[in-house]
Amino acid sequence: MIGTISYLVFFATTASILAIAVLGLNLQWGNTGLFNGGVVAFFGAGAYGTLILGGTPQDGHLGGYGLFYPLALLGGMAAAGVMAWIVGLLTLRLRHDYLAIATFGVAVAFENLMRNAEWLAGGAKGVRGFERPLRDALGDGFLYNIAFFITVLIILITVYLFLERLVASPFGRLLRAIREDEEAASSLGKSPSRIRLTAFITGSVILGLAGGLYGTFYAFVSPQDVLPTLTFQIWAMLIVGGAGNNRGAIFGAFLIWGAWTASGWALSRFAPVEAQLYTGSMQFVLIGVVIVGMLMWRPQGLLPERLVVSQRGSKE
Amino acid sequence: MIQNLIDGVLTGSYLSLGAIGLTLVMHILRFANFSHAELLSLGAYAALVFDALVTALAPVLATKLGPLSLTYALLFAILISMVLTGLSAVLIDRLVFKRVREKGWELSMVFASFGMALIIRNVIGLIFGLSPELYSKDIAFAMILSRDPLILVKPDQVFVLVAALALMFVLHLILSRTTFGYALRAVAENPSLAQVNGVNLARTVMAVWLIGGSLAAVAGVFYGLSHQVIPVMGRDLVLPIFAATIVGGIGSVYGAVLGGFIVGIAGNLALVVLPSGYTPSIPFMLILIVLMIRPHGLFGEARA
Amino acid sequence: MTLLRHLAGGMGVAVGLTLMAGSALAQDCTTKIGTVLPTSVDWGRPIAETAQFAVDQVNAAGGAGGCKIEMVLRDTQVDPKVGVDAAKALVDLEGVKVLLGAVSSGVSMPILTSVTVPGGVMQMSCCSSSTAFTNLAEEGKTEGLWFRTFATTAVQSAMGAKIAQDKGYGSVAILYKNDDWGQDMARLIAADFEAVGVAVTASVAINDGQPSYRAEVTEALGTQPDALYLALYPAEGTAAVREWISLGGTQKMILANSLKSDEFRENVGLQYLGETVGTDTASPRSESADAFRAAYVERFESEPNGPGLGNSYDATMIALLAMEAAGKDASGADIAAAVRKVTDPNGTAITADTAGFTTAKEVLAGGGTVMYQGATGNVRFDANGDVSAPAVIWSFTESGTEEVEYLSLDEVDSFIASLN
Repeated sequence: MIGTISYLVFFATTASILAIAVLGLNLQWGNTGLFNGGVVAFFGAGAYGTLILGGTPQDGHLGGYGLFYPLALLGGMAAAGVMAWIVGLLTLRLRHDYLAIATFGVAVAFENLMRNAEWLAGGAKGVRGFERPLRDALGDGFLYNIAFFITVLIILITVYLFLERLVASPFGRLLRAIREDEEAASSLGKSPSRIRLTAFITGSVILGLAGGLYGTFYAFVSPQDVLPTLTFQIWAMLIVGGAGNNRGAIFGAFLIWGAWTASGWALSRFAPVEAQLYTGSMQFVLIGVVIVGMLMWRPQGLLPERLVVSQRGSKE
Repeated sequence: MIQNLIDGVLTGSYLSLGAIGLTLVMHILRFANFSHAELLSLGAYAALVFDALVTALAPVLATKLGPLSLTYALLFAILISMVLTGLSAVLIDRLVFKRVREKGWELSMVFASFGMALIIRNVIGLIFGLSPELYSKDIAFAMILSRDPLILVKPDQVFVLVAALALMFVLHLILSRTTFGYALRAVAENPSLAQVNGVNLARTVMAVWLIGGSLAAVAGVFYGLSHQVIPVMGRDLVLPIFAATIVGGIGSVYGAVLGGFIVGIAGNLALVVLPSGYTPSIPFMLILIVLMIRPHGLFGEARA
Repeated sequence: MTLLRHLAGGMGVAVGLTLMAGSALAQDCTTKIGTVLPTSVDWGRPIAETAQFAVDQVNAAGGAGGCKIEMVLRDTQVDPKVGVDAAKALVDLEGVKVLLGAVSSGVSMPILTSVTVPGGVMQMSCCSSSTAFTNLAEEGKTEGLWFRTFATTAVQSAMGAKIAQDKGYGSVAILYKNDDWGQDMARLIAADFEAVGVAVTASVAINDGQPSYRAEVTEALGTQPDALYLALYPAEGTAAVREWISLGGTQKMILANSLKSDEFRENVGLQYLGETVGTDTASPRSESADAFRAAYVERFESEPNGPGLGNSYDATMIALLAMEAAGKDASGADIAAAVRKVTDPNGTAITADTAGFTTAKEVLAGGGTVMYQGATGNVRFDANGDVSAPAVIWSFTESGTEEVEYLSLDEVDSFIASLN
């Protein structure tokens, strides 16, 4: 029983961290229509930034500044933000597929840099030597996981409330106006490119926050954490949950991550012994079937965007 | 340096073939098809099966064509594989993409294609195993074109290049000289207007898949001939093919051909300036540069 | 025709497994052990097969710790998140006290820091090579729960340098896999080559999953080395070497043990591998050395050649021996502590098979200790959970590989010392 709870807490922590990332992407895609194909680069910048700033000194690469944890996390978010600013300036005038592939390229280049530049972040070995905050006080067992989960949950709720308010604000309406009809928006005297950039950076900072928490949770990050698979996973969560709807984004994160892990668990438990070795490939087939099936059955996602929000007129 | 250039052109030949199909699909059906490269795998494995089958049925055909490692049997197998892969592409469209298209929006298609890619790749892995396969275990030695600077070219690669160029020329004739070519362009420009003018939309879409699928099959076999056939080859090739399509500009067949060669050459020249660890980034840096200058690729046009 | 062989092989394994399952001795209890390996990757699946093979042998000897062993296998997809979650599920939901895996250091490390050490579970990896584990252990953060049967890269690279020296190569180009293992290997081997006076003309990283390695090979070829050193896995290794040979590169090659693979030999072709030699850690000189090999050939109809196979077998066997030594219902820490009892240099030597395990049971029951003589040698862990072993230099033959030269642990150590 305690085992089940312990696992569920662990699972919910990972899912919550991913949900924060999905919320960041939802601001970019769901609300602003920016096809960010390089999610993992900003997530990774947050993770690497946090661990490098908050970790103990390591031989041969940057790091070991041992910053107070919240500062390190903010530093990771700032790293993601700065990267988003540069990438945004270069690419945001591109549209759809072109923007997607350009940002995807940024993510591949980011992984490449982390893998090869040993002086920067340890190369393929990754960054370790990070002390999880308050570990001395809480140990590293079940109690710690509970405390960490609650922290992540509070951050998730905060990000959710922040985005809900943002989306309902005049700025939020502006984002959707640009998404739907950029020319009309600019004819009203708004500057679409600046607003798009702001949304892109804000979303990326949230992605960086998720990355920072992820790095903290594992006390380790390596180039293997920033492969394109993660971009795909986060996108799948948003699409299945419902783009444009923050609750859908969170729901999608839990659902997809749940399906992803549960299918592995179910196969290991119920598949016959002769088939065990093939379960890895079978799981990928299952994941593919779920995604395709979902898109055929309910393409707007499980919780579609609620368009009524922007029509809320009175504001005290 | 010259060697890198030549290698780049040779790599570019199969990337181009893959990119042509992708650019047509992206143009007509307006979605980035991430499962396109899996059609290359499908084609390569289909040819592998039929190569073995034809060789078993008619051992005479196992003889090689001159200096090439290509056999008559494999040549047969390529033709069969082209048809099968083209039909598979149509079938996948009917079963999956068509339904998603009717209900969903642009991005649903992108993700459905991602899902399809996972399915196809792993089903191939389940059937054929995860290890690489080869059409011929013999190693075809390179011909020395020049000793100083050292320039080496493999006969297979020359064949691949010539065959790819020939296929591209045939496609050019089809697109520029036949009513089908006009219909295709009309649909790409404006699907509803084209239908009003008597173009059968469903038939055009089918033709696009057939062409894209069969060219992908050839590209897959050519890749396998130069390197190896492995279930993850689609995953490895999808990005260079996308890069070629984007650099060339979505919808432009000639852009795709040029894009394929540019990406091939860039990948091979990259090592001259950068440590080899960074090679995977090169196609993307190239895309960034091209898009900086031309936001819709070299031959692409802006479209709402 | 390899195609048909694959299909037939797959079926053979399936039938074999069913037979094994039927013949296992009936116990009234079952102990689960957890395994997290990348079964959806080409080289990952055989590693998992080998682990299952060891479990079956132990079950044929009546299980370990008084119970039948059930191995619960989860795929990592080489994705750290997925691997960590799988490990956590195995520990929390299946209650395993022993976790085998993972392969990639980037997956093993977060499992160690966030699952096994906090959970007090022993983790034994066949194949994670990163030096970061040694550092972590030195800092006392693994709490003695971490082991790996992958001999440190230092032995491999020193033997590579010895070959170059013995053969009189003046210059060598290096192709290495661009991951933590490959980067370590490239750095060490370059230093070792230099120490024995062999010039390194080029050191070229080979990235995973690239469609073509032509440019990388051309780069190395342009420097016209006497010989080529390869620290690659079979899939990229085959692609790169076929390219290398077809471009007229020298057939004098030195291979790391990851290319001791039938797939590599078959796909490159023996006729081009006549001047190729490789390095590996070795079995000790004892009459039982062939036990693992013979049993393996019987089961899989091929030699145990491939990255990590011997290591995976040893990791599984040692873990199960330790479970036997620790007794029923032992904690992860107890089992980890018992590893010393089964890899004791002064203990009774036991072979790597069912008979060996049966002997071990008797000795351990009598309060003695055993020395496990495994597939990769006389495995002996140091305080950091790292292993050192004798070395062998091998070459390819019609049917597999053969030993060219054997170096005892002392000889290996003294050669490494001479490099500094």
